Amino acid sequence: MAGKSGREISAVPASGIKGKLLSWEGALILILIGVNILGVAISPNYNVSNVLREMPRYLAEIFMMFGMGYILVLGDIDISVGALVCLAGTITVLSSNAGAPFGLAVVICLAVGLLGGMLNGFIATRFTELPTMIVTLGTQIIFRGIAEVLFETWGNGGGTASMADTKGLMLLAKKIGPFPIAFFCVIIVGVVMITVLSKTTFGRKLYAIGSNKTAAYYAGVKVEKIRFICYSLLGFLAGVCALFLLTATFGSNTTTGQGFEMEVIAMCVFGGIATTGGKGNLIGGFIAAFIIVCLRIALGQRNINTQIILVIIGLMLIISVLVPSISSAITARKKKAQT
Amino acid sequence: MKKKVLSVLLATTVVASLLAGCGSTAADTAAPAAEAAPAEEAAPAEEAAPAEEAATEEAAPADDAAASASGSTYALVTKSAGNPFMDRMATGFQEAVEDAGGTVVIQNPEAATPDAQISVIQSLISQGVNSIAVAGNDANALTAVLTEAEDAGIKVLTLDSDVAPDTRAVFCNQAGVDQIGETLMEAVYDLTGGEGDWAILSATSQATNQNAWIDAMKKLMESDSKYSKLNLVEVAYGDDEPQKSTDQTQALLQNYPDLKVICAPTTVGIAAAAKVLQDQKSTVKLTGLGLPSEMAEYIGDDDAHSCPYMFLWNPIDLGRLAGYTSVALVDGTITGAKGDKFTAGDLGDYTIEDIDGATQIILGPPFKFDPSNIDEWKEVY
Repeated sequence: MAGKSGREISAVPASGIKGKLLSWEGALILILIGVNILGVAISPNYNVSNVLREMPRYLAEIFMMFGMGYILVLGDIDISVGALVCLAGTITVLSSNAGAPFGLAVVICLAVGLLGGMLNGFIATRFTELPTMIVTLGTQIIFRGIAEVLFETWGNGGGTASMADTKGLMLLAKKIGPFPIAFFCVIIVGVVMITVLSKTTFGRKLYAIGSNKTAAYYAGVKVEKIRFICYSLLGFLAGVCALFLLTATFGSNTTTGQGFEMEVIAMCVFGGIATTGGKGNLIGGFIAAFIIVCLRIALGQRNINTQIILVIIGLMLIISVLVPSISSAITARKKKAQT
Repeated sequence: MKKKVLSVLLATTVVASLLAGCGSTAADTAAPAAEAAPAEEAAPAEEAAPAEEAATEEAAPADDAAASASGSTYALVTKSAGNPFMDRMATGFQEAVEDAGGTVVIQNPEAATPDAQISVIQSLISQGVNSIAVAGNDANALTAVLTEAEDAGIKVLTLDSDVAPDTRAVFCNQAGVDQIGETLMEAVYDLTGGEGDWAILSATSQATNQNAWIDAMKKLMESDSKYSKLNLVEVAYGDDEPQKSTDQTQALLQNYPDLKVICAPTTVGIAAAAKVLQDQKSTVKLTGLGLPSEMAEYIGDDDAHSCPYMFLWNPIDLGRLAGYTSVALVDGTITGAKGDKFTAGDLGDYTIEDIDGATQIILGPPFKFDPSNIDEWKEVY
């Protein structure tokens, strides 16, 4: 199926049960099962209730994974979202402490995320010659900078603030059965985002832009408008992430959300979404996110050095991006042998 | 081809689990923790019971363990990995707990952030440890997770850096304001020979801890006639900037020719002043609070060195105090209330104090660094 450019048109899904099972996503499901077996094997405390209890902090990141997936499919990247989580969380805490009712604080949180995303989108689409990595590096510094200034001017100083009225957050942190509310929200957002990307023309347009921006433009796709929407969407999801992160921390500080952007990109890439654009789908990212979370929880319960956990996740990531090139090398050799 | 992809993937999984195996041997302190876990702790966990049940069952062993330290697990969460101060603190903690016959779990978060500490503490709650001692990366952000730990029956204490007082039983403070004031005042008395001019080189004029220490010293001078012949000529502010601290030191030397001693209770100020005095071969002597690694070349008894001795906290003893406190909290000797007394091994007897609404145990006077021990400590921090 490789085109003239050598790129596979992977937006065309594999058909039939066999095709689905042997796909990258099928393999990810196997790895997820493997990780859970590993967890039960190495830790006596690795069980449903403990895993779900430890999960909310990580669940917050998964919201952003969906938005980041869209951006990566476009062939762009956004490294500002970790700082945006910090800014949204900070403004929420400070406004709540200044007397805003919880409902308003939630709206503010989501609005700050959306506005931050729109700023990214605005710069990225108005100045298309700029690499998005650099644009979002700039906004990353700006977002965190604003948060730090806010701490100084409106907070009690010290680069940290805790929410005085935690009733609303407690409500959000509640569980339905053993499942935290965030879990259901992730599933709902996930289903919507996955469906939009894989089943709608909007989703197809993203793949078109990611595969060949110029061709998509001449085919009548409103490239810049769609990019703007995707950046805004990711910003909004950063707001959602900040909100659910608050249910775990009840406060914000200058390091809130540090490194989230990279963890989220890692989930996407491990899930088979190529950073070069036009490849992969969100189901992979979704499963990959849970693989990383379950692995972290399992190894954490065994008290394995956190730095070693990072090394393991890094290795998994490199292997996962190597697999496609290894398999294509094998195919090429086979073809050579046949001729 | 697809099958090959699959086999590569399965190999990946195997490699991952192998790595996990390696990891557990590398974390030497971790391994015994899980193995030595009491049977009752492991049993309910494996059944994958519903949330509420599991939570109560997890809490149970913590109560049962009241009898002795053996069989109990005591966790320490540091601020970050690769921090020599924290590493020494962990060494002390481990010594104290093992001395009492308990099992130690030491966890360094993956980054020096409260978020990373939350993950580590969550994991410790799952493991059903008996106590968690944490050096907080943030005063507020750990509130929720520490409350959760206490709800699960785990004793929570802090050391080095405190968190919100209602989310932990007690704070192991490296040094109290009064002890620092007393120690520094005594040093000034000793170095001046009991009389003459001396000056203070502080950080910024609004630094809370600096001002508290300086006030404690001033109060001592007023209340104790022993210090009546000492004359504090000026409190200079170097703003914790090396250049400004250097300028201020030079100004002090120029303005007060009879100056005998400078006391700098700030690590930046003392290092800057030490360099000025030593370079100018001044007869003025220096003391205060400083980092051994930065001050090693200035510490000495002869005239070639500007600082005969200085002070800071001892991280090993702080870790040991936290270790003994953990044991005392778990076996019920103390609850963390004001007035509780206990014995912290060879560190001696301690009483819990209440300072500004925060219950704390003060380690004791600051640790003295002089020519006899500076070479050993400069490698530490």
